[in-house]
Amino acid sequence: MKRLALARRETPTRGGAPAAFLIGLSFALALGAILLTISGDSVIEVYQRMFERSLGSKDVISATLNRATPMALAGLAVSIAATMGLWNIGAEGQILFGATAATFVGRLFPDLPGPVLIVAMLLGAAIGGALWALGPGLARAEIGVSEIITTLMLNEVALRLIQYLQNGPWKDPDGFSFAQITPRPEQAGLGDIWERAHLGVVIALVLIIGFAWFASRSVWGYELRIAGSSAKTAAYAGISMRSKILGVLLLSGAVAGFAGGIELSGTAVRLNENIANGYGFAGIIVAALALMRPSGVALVALAFGAVQVGGVSIQSIGVSSAVADILQALILFGAIGATVLSNYQVKMVERKVAV
Amino acid sequence: MSHPAVELDGIWKRFPGVIANAGASLTVRPGTVHAVLGENGAGKTTLMNCLAGVYRPDEGVVRVHGEEQKFSSPADAIAAGIGMVHQEFRLVPTFTVAENVVLGAAPRVISQSAIVRQVTDLAARFGFDAEPTRPVWQLSMGERQRVEILKALWRDARVLILDEPTAVLTPQEAVELGKVLRRMVEDGRSIIFISHKLDEVTSFCDEATVLRGGETVANSVPINDVDATELAKLMVGEVESAPVPDRVTTPGDVSMSVKGLKVTDTRGLRAVDGVSLEVRSGEIVGIAGVAGNGQRALTDAIAGLETIDAGTISVMGSDVTTAPPQARFAAGLAYVPEDRLGVGLAPKLPLAENAVMREYRKLRKGPFLSWSAASKFADDLVKRFGVKIGRVDLPLASLSGGNLQRILLGRELSGEPDVVVASQPTRGLDVAGVRAIQRLLLEQRDAGTAVLMVSEDLDELLALADRILVMVEGRIVGEFDARTASRAEIGESMMGAQA
Repeated sequence: MKRLALARRETPTRGGAPAAFLIGLSFALALGAILLTISGDSVIEVYQRMFERSLGSKDVISATLNRATPMALAGLAVSIAATMGLWNIGAEGQILFGATAATFVGRLFPDLPGPVLIVAMLLGAAIGGALWALGPGLARAEIGVSEIITTLMLNEVALRLIQYLQNGPWKDPDGFSFAQITPRPEQAGLGDIWERAHLGVVIALVLIIGFAWFASRSVWGYELRIAGSSAKTAAYAGISMRSKILGVLLLSGAVAGFAGGIELSGTAVRLNENIANGYGFAGIIVAALALMRPSGVALVALAFGAVQVGGVSIQSIGVSSAVADILQALILFGAIGATVLSNYQVKMVERKVAV
Repeated sequence: MSHPAVELDGIWKRFPGVIANAGASLTVRPGTVHAVLGENGAGKTTLMNCLAGVYRPDEGVVRVHGEEQKFSSPADAIAAGIGMVHQEFRLVPTFTVAENVVLGAAPRVISQSAIVRQVTDLAARFGFDAEPTRPVWQLSMGERQRVEILKALWRDARVLILDEPTAVLTPQEAVELGKVLRRMVEDGRSIIFISHKLDEVTSFCDEATVLRGGETVANSVPINDVDATELAKLMVGEVESAPVPDRVTTPGDVSMSVKGLKVTDTRGLRAVDGVSLEVRSGEIVGIAGVAGNGQRALTDAIAGLETIDAGTISVMGSDVTTAPPQARFAAGLAYVPEDRLGVGLAPKLPLAENAVMREYRKLRKGPFLSWSAASKFADDLVKRFGVKIGRVDLPLASLSGGNLQRILLGRELSGEPDVVVASQPTRGLDVAGVRAIQRLLLEQRDAGTAVLMVSEDLDELLALADRILVMVEGRIVGEFDARTASRAEIGESMMGAQA
């Protein structure tokens, strides 16, 4: 008995993913056009503005790059965990705690020269992020507790911690009655390198490319691929699953925490509860869209950033925020769906029966 | 008397390259427990799947209570009163016992308390002590099996097929099962009991049908009229064993010695229960036995993949009992696991990464791996062992079983081991693949390697091995000289019959 079924391709078609991305995008834009027509907005005007305000000039491209940076790093963090089949849903919390740790370093050494302080704060951010993943990592490696639940729950804890700090110990004495945290040292800001884009854009790109390269060439990356293949294969090859699980979650947390440090020094002036701004969750989508390949997250995050910046911009010409949100979702969903589907093919298969 | 509960007549079922049933027949009288016996691959499960509506036979007639049936789905078979308990249970772990029992066959309006009451009543009628409100994930394997049986009874199965029901049970649970089966038979139901354990068959069943090579070789033999030896003979047949290839060398010193090995499996049962064995240089020792008698745990424990409760393992005189797998490999112990793609190879990774899996530590250059050395290693492997591979950078998953096994065995042999432990090395391969792998193992023997080989194919062991050890329920119960032993006497020992 035969039936039609979706089967995973044994080998991905060359260029299939980018082509599918474009087709999915066009399809989403077409659907969006119908939506805009119904809502009474001018399709051409809206799309034109979306493009202009996200990728239309040096100025907006640089803003898009800034926006894409933390999402790319969060995407990298998620994809690192995914090489072992682990889900780090806690990048949001790790960004928050990373930024908190960087702020702590800034408060400890407020008089260090800029470059030294930046390095120290970014390092602190990475360590903070790793620390935030330590509990879930240990629980998963030692007793098999699902990291999905633990990392997710810690997001809320990190948020509450910042709220406590801004109402208590770290409250800005010059903020009058306003509950906000004292600004970070001024010299700890990442300078702009091109239009509005700050140095963090380059740092993130170097980190992503560096990681992808290191993972593909190093013994560590190789062991990770074996361990991600199956626990039994790892044992056979003499690789400790426990240390790999813990290591990969710590690294994933460190990268997300680092993103928090970049945000603090790049776009923010002080630690606040909105500093993660959903980037950690966006990172999950970015990683999924990049098919969990570290090498793909930069490009996907850029597209994601553009859609977000463009989505915000059209609200100022009268598109309702609901329609703008739907439009963003359509574009992302269309592109994700098409890209993932490009790994599959429709074929006739024998009806499967249990033996 | 009335019609037979089940009549299967001249059932043929072909799969690509395999004939699973070649005119098999089965007649089950109502109110009896009927054993279906046969070795692995004899066609038992396929025949039962034809009866349970999972497969449609290519030819042949299925009659249930005298009426001819053409099932096109398991649902049709259930409607006709056929229930099947598969080897792998099909339960929802988070649902309660009662919910699982009624799942898919619940009344339109569901009242939790009514269902719990009805399931309790049903269980009590057949002498189960079920706790209907407990979630299934809390239950032991034996308890889960009872839920499966209750599921079939809830659907009022008149004929219940149990596919190797005792494989997951402790001996006590097996005795309990026997009692439950009696109750069901007294209730007028019929039971088909698939097994290859003779002692159970003789204690639980009324009649037996024996399958061999897809055909019925003994039809409805009353259990009281035959003894275990006869049944064993029927199962394995009286095939002439293949000629043993001429030996070039004689076995030398002991290369590997295992003493008093005990291993507990993931279910908490003792899988290996005090195994001692020695393998000499230039000798192939075969381990024969029906699947699931601890062979996998034995070889995994020797290779360092299972925790050992007691006993020692030494390779070339050095004790490796507590050594990690890579240290055992370095000590000269190569391992070809039964599960090629889940243990021995990483299917998503390319050839080079699989080829160096055992010895990548030697190719280390600082934090990096020398990929040029790795691909040279892979190229050598391809050439030396005749692997047919298209692009070396593609994942291994697309390769054929024979090529995968060449890569796996080749990699293990490239370290020039003193001892090779190979588990089911030829299972599932085509004829050319089987020959190639067997030839490699014989070459190893002639070169003075000690080979321990687990196989379910008795003919293969008789052809290749020097000595054959029979493993039953985690113990070595018999040792045979492969040149003089007969298939029948080894078969009998495999079935647990007292020799």
